[in-house]
Amino acid sequence: MAASMSCKNVFQKISSASRSNLKRSYCQSINLTNAEVRRKRNEIFETEKKRQLGLITRMEKIQVDVKGPPEDCTLIMNKGISTPFNCSMHIQELLVNRSALALVNGEPWDMHRPLKEDCSIEFLHFLDEDPRIVNKAFWRSCCLVLGHVLETALQNQYYVELCSFPKPHLQSGSFVYDADLKLKDWKPTTAELNCLTRVGHKLHHLDLKFERLEVDASIALDMFQDNRFKSQQIPFIAESSGSKVVVYRVGDHVDISSGPCIASTNQIGRFNVTAAHQIDTPDYGKLYRVQGLGLPSQVMMHYWSYDILRRRAGKFNTAPLPRLKMESSPQTDDNNTEIST
Amino acid sequence: MLRFPYRARPRKMSRQRLPEEGIIVGQEGRLQRLRQLVTGLVRYERIETVYQHCDETRGYAERLIHTAIRNGDQHQHTMEMADYWLNEKDLIYKLFDVLVPRYQNYSSAFTNIYRTPIVYPGRGTEMGILELKGNPWPDVLPKQRDNRYVISNVLLQAARKDYNTSKESRKTKNELNSSSENSET
Amino acid sequence: MASYSRRILPCFWKTTKLLTFEDSARRVPCRYHQELLPTRNYLLPETVEEHRKSELSKHPELPPSITSENVPADFRFVYPEFLPDPQYDRRDSIRERLEREDMYRRRAVIDIPEFYVGSIMAVTVSDQYSPNKENRFVGICIDRGGVGLRAFFILRNVVDGQGIEIMYEMYNPTLQSIQVLKLEKRVDDKLYYLRDAPQEYSTFPFDMDPIPVPKGSTVPVNKMKVQLNPRPWLERWERQDLQGVEDLKLEQRFYDKAAKVAKPWEKYDLMKWYRENTNEEERDSIMQEVHQRKRLTDIEKSKRKTKLAERKR
Repeated sequence: MAASMSCKNVFQKISSASRSNLKRSYCQSINLTNAEVRRKRNEIFETEKKRQLGLITRMEKIQVDVKGPPEDCTLIMNKGISTPFNCSMHIQELLVNRSALALVNGEPWDMHRPLKEDCSIEFLHFLDEDPRIVNKAFWRSCCLVLGHVLETALQNQYYVELCSFPKPHLQSGSFVYDADLKLKDWKPTTAELNCLTRVGHKLHHLDLKFERLEVDASIALDMFQDNRFKSQQIPFIAESSGSKVVVYRVGDHVDISSGPCIASTNQIGRFNVTAAHQIDTPDYGKLYRVQGLGLPSQVMMHYWSYDILRRRAGKFNTAPLPRLKMESSPQTDDNNTEIST
Repeated sequence: MLRFPYRARPRKMSRQRLPEEGIIVGQEGRLQRLRQLVTGLVRYERIETVYQHCDETRGYAERLIHTAIRNGDQHQHTMEMADYWLNEKDLIYKLFDVLVPRYQNYSSAFTNIYRTPIVYPGRGTEMGILELKGNPWPDVLPKQRDNRYVISNVLLQAARKDYNTSKESRKTKNELNSSSENSET
Repeated sequence: MASYSRRILPCFWKTTKLLTFEDSARRVPCRYHQELLPTRNYLLPETVEEHRKSELSKHPELPPSITSENVPADFRFVYPEFLPDPQYDRRDSIRERLEREDMYRRRAVIDIPEFYVGSIMAVTVSDQYSPNKENRFVGICIDRGGVGLRAFFILRNVVDGQGIEIMYEMYNPTLQSIQVLKLEKRVDDKLYYLRDAPQEYSTFPFDMDPIPVPKGSTVPVNKMKVQLNPRPWLERWERQDLQGVEDLKLEQRFYDKAAKVAKPWEKYDLMKWYRENTNEEERDSIMQEVHQRKRLTDIEKSKRKTKLAERKR
């Protein structure tokens, strides 16, 4: 604990030392801080969620066929309220802890997404015979967490604007978040990266749920009005998916992603922020590409092998740069077509 | 021709106490015991006993099937052998109707033999499992899980590939450099 | 330990007084004895197969056109000496191959006819001490054995009231001719009991004329029963399950003892049979080869004959 404190202090000192060299970004309003924006987004998310729950006036029951292991069984659940997570709670604690994703009628489904009709469920975890879908979801969730880390780790005077993250591609060796950190010519030291890593690793102990919500484009615009990148992207996303935008919440961090994601941050075992490279994008100007590496807590790895992966994850990730146009817009990554790992 | 390593000399087997014949010692007792084992093997397709007995039984069972495949059921000597080695006579039909078609096109041995762990505490006997191939029982050895797609393996495989390509490119670069130096000199 | 794992080693301890492995094994303490013993209990079939499929076993002179042919079923009884020794520690596929080559070459020169135990044969051998420098002996074949170039047969006759047995090595170069005077089989594999039989059973005239067997007919089996002399004998014939012998007229105790030591189960011991015989697949492949070579030598012989006939004209 003492080590982490000292490390964090180092990071804050460094960032405060470099503060004098930094120029404020032109778009930054004087009293706009990450914390306030997050609170606002969170409130909108909360009200929208309550509103959607309020639409369900009558409890209807649905039949859910759960495929083993441990055994096949049938559950009667509440329509629009019960989630696969609730189903697993009825069966076994092991399933509750390890299930990262559910297959509902053969379709990947978040653990905390309410079920809408009679269905059959299979629970997936990271050590399945073929965990490719879960791996993708894990990588995507790690991107969300990385966004969370970037927004919360820096001090309040740096208003971080997250841009986007590319489709999850495990072979590249690292997950990526492109963001405007409002830092000029920042080359992160090892200590700074370690501090970011620690911030991310804390989420493992907080056990935050990945909550999914489908909102209207207008609400999404309202939510992300302070983010110049997202507010530009939302109309394009809404256009492709019929005026609906899928939003995820981790703790108090809200982000746009088409999903699916894993169940909880507790399932992220190892988490490292490995590098931040400066990139020059045609649509958004200069951004930072922050890269990281993570492993599920279910998957063990020797530190020596992990070190190799960590070093590789520090190299520049050649994923496509963020663009405004739809086909390369990262938030619309279609998960059903990504299975070919 | 037997398709597995066999001993040059037969094992001596300790005397056998049989329910009807009483104690039979020596060569004859050995064959009596082996008859029981061969019968059991053909009946149940998998037997578990002392490893050395499994190994002895293996040769006799395979020879019996070989002879049956080679000569068919119209051959007098083969029928005599089947009659002697199979104590339960319904198994003679099984030998010719089930086992011969099953093993006709095999190019390997017809049986598998496994050692099982020595039970401790116990008599310290080496136990083994002898089974006919293609039997209906579950496998003796557990099936290996395919862990190619576990995330750690995916990442490590990608890292390995990355390392190899960079090594290759470095090698070609060096070669190019050395060749250009040579041409200059 | 590893150096002792191969059994096929030169037997130098028989000729020299070196401290051999067997001596040293006897002297070491008991607990090391097991480790020092050669590991000769297993033969991997792959090892045998490797030797068999080596380049040496592919004969370059053989035309490939006559590789698949129907070999007569009785070939292995006509040419048993071509089969290798079934005991694997005496085997060496290269040596077997070379020996077979030598045997074919010898057979191209001398006519070794088909014969069986029980056939009456005449053998002419070069003998520098005899008047014509050759020696002819006639007798009944009482045993036949050996593999490869060491194949032998034993002829028995009675000369001047004295039983004579001569063992001839079939591929001995001093053999000038082998002639079968009467081709027949007996019901037993070995006729050593003729030693204890009256002399008329093994007396054959030296000027006996050959009795031709009509072509295409099967080899006749002589089911003659021999009346043995009364005991004492050279062997306990009552224990040997002889077919070609009249009732031995012994006391009951001999038969009781014979029944006691009999091993009727041995014929069911499949692995014993397998260990003592060449396996079927190998036997077939060798017989195939023998058949091909025989055809080739026959063709050559007939060519030579026609040439000779032309020259005479």
